Amino acid sequence: MPIGRLFLRTPKDGRAKLLLNGLLVAAVLVGFVALSVARVEGRYDFTDLWTYRTRLAMGFGMTLAFSVLSMAASLLIGFASATGSRSRILPVRYLCRTYVNVIRGTPLLMQIYLFFYIIGDAWGVEDRLVAGVLILSIFEGAYISEILRGGLDSIEGSQLEIARAVGFTPAQATRLIVLPQLLRRTLPALAGQFASIIKDSSLLSVISIVELTQTIKEVNAATFAFTTDYLFLGVLYFALTFPVSLLSRALEKRFAYEN
Amino acid sequence: MKRILSIALAALLIASLLSGCAGASKKVLKVGMELAYPPFETKDAAGQPSGVSVDIAKAFAESMGMTAEIQNIAWDGLIPSLQSGKVDLVISSMTITAKREEQVDFSHAYAKAYLALLVGKGSPVKTAADLDADGRVISVKQGSTGDTYARAHFPKATIRAFDSENACVTEVTQGKADAFIYDQLTIYRNSLQFADKTWALFLPGQEAEGWGMAFKTGSGLTAKANAFLATYTADGGFDGLTEKYLKQEKATFDQLGFAFFFANKDGSWPTSGQ
Repeated sequence: MPIGRLFLRTPKDGRAKLLLNGLLVAAVLVGFVALSVARVEGRYDFTDLWTYRTRLAMGFGMTLAFSVLSMAASLLIGFASATGSRSRILPVRYLCRTYVNVIRGTPLLMQIYLFFYIIGDAWGVEDRLVAGVLILSIFEGAYISEILRGGLDSIEGSQLEIARAVGFTPAQATRLIVLPQLLRRTLPALAGQFASIIKDSSLLSVISIVELTQTIKEVNAATFAFTTDYLFLGVLYFALTFPVSLLSRALEKRFAYEN
Repeated sequence: MKRILSIALAALLIASLLSGCAGASKKVLKVGMELAYPPFETKDAAGQPSGVSVDIAKAFAESMGMTAEIQNIAWDGLIPSLQSGKVDLVISSMTITAKREEQVDFSHAYAKAYLALLVGKGSPVKTAADLDADGRVISVKQGSTGDTYARAHFPKATIRAFDSENACVTEVTQGKADAFIYDQLTIYRNSLQFADKTWALFLPGQEAEGWGMAFKTGSGLTAKANAFLATYTADGGFDGLTEKYLKQEKATFDQLGFAFFFANKDGSWPTSGQ
């Protein structure tokens, strides 16, 4: 057997072959980063990070909490806005579409400052954590709204007519016909958006919310171990976002039979 | 038409790259600074680096027969850039501290600054000592000496660190923080800007912060920089910079009795009148 066959996809691949290829790619990438660090800095020093382990763990927990709360809230906001932007009531439709366009058309950094120091201050939202979750959810909600609207638009109207003809109530039609298809069609995009929420939460550090990135910034201000600190930060974020992608992959398979 | 345009663009790009290589006949001194602290490090109306530190960098490079190339680098990236050799030195109003000296070498101080407090008018804080209590909130710029000072001297207060000075000031003007600790020049300016909401409080009994040029540990440039600074001071170089960039500040500081940034021509340092 030529050695090249070891790297080619065939219908009957064993686990060992897949693992080998995966490890190969991982080794090359890690090697590349390690070599780059060695050329620049020439040392790894994780002792400083170990000193700050309690704070890092708290920051990690905060990022996790922010992400989970914002995922739930942004899903609600996104669903409301997606429904609203298909509404027959024009003010509702325009409101939802304006929301989506403005939020998607401006940077998150500017929104954080605007919402926290202007709107938040004007209306008495003093709690940084509440403000942080709200800002992040409003931002991500606009993207989720577009994902869901696309999903809803892709479900043919004739399906609902048929459902009504065979005696489904509107609630039944939504639950049994629309939702399963919507889930299946939007899940990969939604999972990507959930990973974005985790990453975007890092920008909340600019209003001194002590989540993971802010913790690293504070640690870095004391240690100056720039490279190791930020490499480690990347690893921690990946540890949060990668399971989301895996979960999405699994759910995609789970719902595949629906179509 | 489109193809001609793209070929023309590509040719232009290559030409500009080539000329960039050919133009570097004089040796270049790469100087890192964060262009976010006028009038020391900033950009002029045309977007070119400008300020006290820029002029010092140019004069230093010239004294060695080189040309200075200013690189604008975010504060957190300055020391790593030195260590990785991306820049030859840093002049960025950087205070000489023991902690930083573990990472880089410093020249002698070329300027000295003091910290001050911007206090919100709605805050119950009347003296610096009032800040060291539960419920008091202090805003600081991430990694600044004000940050270190606050954590060391006001352990009971909540310290909030920000990337931007403007955020620190806004925290005070909106009553979210009691005070912002930073250098007295910035504090003084902001207290004028927000006179209805804030007032400036100068921290008594502190040691002056000396600002130094920073070099990679073991760099041969450090000794050259010290020799340059001695000559530059004696030749009145800093008086020229004061006249050019800090005329009004000098007048105000003199009036209030605060020590100014630069050494006198004879090398002695001005003292605070307080």
